[in-house]
Amino acid sequence: MKRIALIIVVTVFGIISSNAQITKVDQEVFGMDCAPCAYGLERGLKKMDGIEKVQVSLNEGKAYLDLTANNNLSLKQIQEEVKVNGFSAKNAEIVIKGNFVEQDGTYAIQTGKETFKIAEATSTNLRSRLKPGVLTVKGIVQDEEDGELTTKWEIELTEIL
Amino acid sequence: MKNYFLILFIGLSTLYKVEAQGHGPIYGLQTPTLAKGGINMNASGMSIATEDEASYMLRYTFFYGITEDLQVTLTTPTVIERLENAPRTRGNSMMPSNGDIEAALWYRFFSNAFGVGKRFESTAILGVSAPTEDVRGQVNVGNSIHGAISTGYASRTWYAWLGGGYQYYFEKDNEQLGDLPYASMVIGYRPDVFMGDYPKPDWRIFVESLAEFPGDNKVNGQFFSTDERSKKVLVGPSILGLTGPWGISFGALFPVYQDLIPNTPREKYRVSLNISYWL
Repeated sequence: MKRIALIIVVTVFGIISSNAQITKVDQEVFGMDCAPCAYGLERGLKKMDGIEKVQVSLNEGKAYLDLTANNNLSLKQIQEEVKVNGFSAKNAEIVIKGNFVEQDGTYAIQTGKETFKIAEATSTNLRSRLKPGVLTVKGIVQDEEDGELTTKWEIELTEIL
Repeated sequence: MKNYFLILFIGLSTLYKVEAQGHGPIYGLQTPTLAKGGINMNASGMSIATEDEASYMLRYTFFYGITEDLQVTLTTPTVIERLENAPRTRGNSMMPSNGDIEAALWYRFFSNAFGVGKRFESTAILGVSAPTEDVRGQVNVGNSIHGAISTGYASRTWYAWLGGGYQYYFEKDNEQLGDLPYASMVIGYRPDVFMGDYPKPDWRIFVESLAEFPGDNKVNGQFFSTDERSKKVLVGPSILGLTGPWGISFGALFPVYQDLIPNTPREKYRVSLNISYWL
């Protein structure tokens, strides 16, 4: 009986983890000034597995990405693609589906590959609505140094979807 | 006027043979390097005219981005008409407009992207060249090395680059072309009418300037002339249009100041048409 329960727990956790992912990214890009720059970035992003749609705006300095269902992409991979194109990835507005967890008094949302710590700038109202389990949220991920990207981010939540 | 049409024809005829790329000024030093793994091909038609004659040349350039800050370039010419009495010039900062084959490394050693479309950056270039002719301007021409450094600002509206370089020719059969220090300055502007967002075509205009200070040639082991260098300053407009992976640019330089050592031909103009493609 214990074994069956263990299998169920592992299976359920596995399903939750596999569903945990980024679904949308509006990535701010600094230093991109010309049409071939935008073309190169668009092409590089389109080549990544898990990207469904890419739109690059020179005037807004942004790459708008829709990710496929069950993608395995991380924000780090996306920002690294921006970097190898010669630009600087800054703040990103993202939609993520992940597990809301509490660890050592801090709150975070975990996808399969990355951890998004809830920033203190998140409103009290939104914080109070966070419940343990799988959540889909929207928020602004703070800029990190391009050369020092990790799998840990800080996110200011703007919406619980 | 016939010469302009010839250059235009030469440039356009290459469109169907070579996919090419280039996205800055034509004559002045610039800073952008390719994305990591990026490949560009570039085909140019160029001419230099002196008081007596004019040269016509096609030039093909291959660019490859080793990293986003380091790229390698290889450029080779098809010379249609050489100058009998060639001025001592590199002609075009980014690629020789004489008959040299050149390989170069570009290293963008500083880059600060600080806003939407905005960045400061600096790039160093180190290249080696081999001539395709034995004699240039009645002097045996040997291999050469070229080094340059450029720093600049790019944005969606304004561009500015300032750079300087130096080319040194090695001796060949007891003769040696004089060295060539030079400096360039470019100001670029994208008017509001060309501010349409990607993927709309993207146009910008430049005012380019180039100053060259060629040294004396050495003939039969002796420096040919005086200890003074020629001094030449050229200024002119260029325009660059980009759409998706394609780019086309056209520009001309005209001498505004020429203080030349004896027996050096005076220049009238330089024109160039450039077609580019990002693979």
